[in-house]
Amino acid sequence: MRTRILVALLIFATFTAGCGSSTPPTPVTVAPIDARPAGAQEVTTAPVTGSADCDREASLRPAPQPSPGAMPHGSTMAAIAERGRLVVGVDQNTNLFGSLNPSTGQLEGFDIDIAREIARAIFGDPDRIELQVVNASQRESALQSGQVDLVVRTYSITCERKQKVAFSSVYFKADQRILALKGSGIDSAARLSGKRVCAVWGTTSLPALFALKPRPTLFGVASWTDCLVMLQQGQVDAISTDDVVLSGLAAQDPTVEVVGASLGIEAYGIGIKKENSDLVRFVNGVLERIRDDGTWQRLYDARLRSLGPSPGPPAARYED
Amino acid sequence: MGDPSERAGAAHTLDAQASVAWMRRFARTTPGVVGMIAIAVAACCLIAGVVCVAQLNGRIAERNAVLDRSEPLTYAAQNLYAALSAADAAAASAFLSSEIETGPMRKRYQQALADAASALADATAGATDADTRTAMAEISAQLSAYTGLVESARANNRQGFPVGSGYLREASSLMQTAVLPGAERIYIRHLAAVDEDQRAVGSTPGAGLVLLALVLATIGVGSVLVYARTNRQFNVGLVVATAAALLAIAWIVVATRLAAGHIEHSRTEGTARFGQLAKARILAEQARTDETLQLIEHGDIVAGEASFNGHIGDLGKLIGTGPSAAADGVAKWTASHRKQVEAYLGGDYPAAVAQAIGTDPGGSAAQFAAVESSLRDGIEHTRATLRDRVSTASARLAWSPTGTLVLMVVAAAAAVVGLWPRLKEFL
Repeated sequence: MRTRILVALLIFATFTAGCGSSTPPTPVTVAPIDARPAGAQEVTTAPVTGSADCDREASLRPAPQPSPGAMPHGSTMAAIAERGRLVVGVDQNTNLFGSLNPSTGQLEGFDIDIAREIARAIFGDPDRIELQVVNASQRESALQSGQVDLVVRTYSITCERKQKVAFSSVYFKADQRILALKGSGIDSAARLSGKRVCAVWGTTSLPALFALKPRPTLFGVASWTDCLVMLQQGQVDAISTDDVVLSGLAAQDPTVEVVGASLGIEAYGIGIKKENSDLVRFVNGVLERIRDDGTWQRLYDARLRSLGPSPGPPAARYED
Repeated sequence: MGDPSERAGAAHTLDAQASVAWMRRFARTTPGVVGMIAIAVAACCLIAGVVCVAQLNGRIAERNAVLDRSEPLTYAAQNLYAALSAADAAAASAFLSSEIETGPMRKRYQQALADAASALADATAGATDADTRTAMAEISAQLSAYTGLVESARANNRQGFPVGSGYLREASSLMQTAVLPGAERIYIRHLAAVDEDQRAVGSTPGAGLVLLALVLATIGVGSVLVYARTNRQFNVGLVVATAAALLAIAWIVVATRLAAGHIEHSRTEGTARFGQLAKARILAEQARTDETLQLIEHGDIVAGEASFNGHIGDLGKLIGTGPSAAADGVAKWTASHRKQVEAYLGGDYPAAVAQAIGTDPGGSAAQFAAVESSLRDGIEHTRATLRDRVSTASARLAWSPTGTLVLMVVAAAAAVVGLWPRLKEFL
């Protein structure tokens, strides 16, 4: 009797032990990698813009130009001459205006040529120059801290910026437009509604896009090439900024085009520390010369021919 | 009611009650007491023997865990970090040197990628926990995204498009903010596991020793009872069993103490030192990244310099006591870096680049390579020390499970054989 119960129990135990469902070990799962340029972030709060009102293109009238190597004693130019080189804040990521030539390791572009003309006016030698790369958002602070003497970097003159730094007369005029994939259907600012648009922190393009109604989804990055990277990676649908910058980007990718009417005119000036009004007048004198002696036209033909025929140098306007 | 099987059950119960009563009566008689002592001593000896064997074998299994799993995984994880960092440095140097397609930079980049792939395979082998495998899978996925970005950068650079630098910056950011921190976390986790496994090898088998003490107590109580019943002072069997148990205790204590000593050495001269050197290597890689990033960003270097000096300062503290070649290399590297910064601040960018990545034997690239290779040698050396010591520690334990089992079986047999004549007197 007992034996039979025992045997029954044993049989039961043997068979039930194997009946539990065995769960397989959890397989590893990871999300796909969606790499983005460092610092890329969606813009959700309005970029700081002052409501200052002014005549933004008016600058200080040039004084009689000293000849190279003979800067007036005690002037800002004399201090630069003393140092032996002109320190200029430029860009290394904007095709046509300031970019690093990968085969020579040298920075080159229209802005850099303009900066060299100013070095030539001080030293008689365009190579007495130190080019420091500054990000768009660092331009005012680099001037205010004295890190650089000048900023020549697709620097739009605005009234807010004029409260912090001084500008030379206008040396180039651009229109804010849109860069999008060919066939994307984006052909005007109105069509940006519901799309993802990229712009650079600290530029005038960002607040202009933020003010659009309805506002597109806006991404801020550190440089315009980062915007092109995001466009090529399908992370944004369009880029909007000055047409010359966009042309520089379009030249790097045959599948994109510059579209739409102007969203606003941008006037480029050379940024200078506010206190150095003698340097502002001197730089304006140099710009005056290169407008008149055909240097501006020569530089345009050398660097910007791909933008179309030259509109000629923009006229300078002076406030005193 | 009243069926035959019920009655048979009742008879069984009666039988059982009768036999239990007989057993009780027998237990109070002298042969009963002697027999029970023999059984109790023998059982205690066997149980203690088996538990000791299990515990000692556990120590030996931990040794295998250190030598076969946790230590090789840690070594592979720190190699992974170094290879990934070297790949990023090589890609950045190739970009700075305009040697995009050919040249030693490209070869170094490809070599670093191959090293990273090997280290990834080594560091994944035997990783049983899901966390580590997930972290490895993440690095693997990120690494393939990284190489894709580097190749995009290359294709654009070859056409002179500045967007190439955009892709390279994105790649480097992915490496510095996601891949390398992930690799460092894996390495730190593995290093902690090595230390834990090592301590397990040298720990005292407490339960086994308590049971052996219990064996001695049982023999003591048994001897007193046998003396009371038979008036014989010493029972040879119980004396032999006592001796065997004492020998087993001495063996276990001495073997585990010796093993613990070696483990202590393996932790201080091996694991801790290994950790310091690997940390130093990581700091050196980070400082090298700071140095090349300054040139790639080509802007204000104040933040980059602060980061470089911080990493070099920590590195100096770590290798103060380490291989002198490394300390020497760091001093020369720092001197070369000062020249780079001077050239940069003096506006001579090409000279700064040449100082940082040129082939000059006094340049930063050569000095960094010297620091890196001396740290790598140091890591290989401490690794050998660690493995030797753990191996020696477990050699001290090697025969202890078998020995303890034999001694305890002898003790059990001696107790039974020794008490048999006392029992036979009554049969």
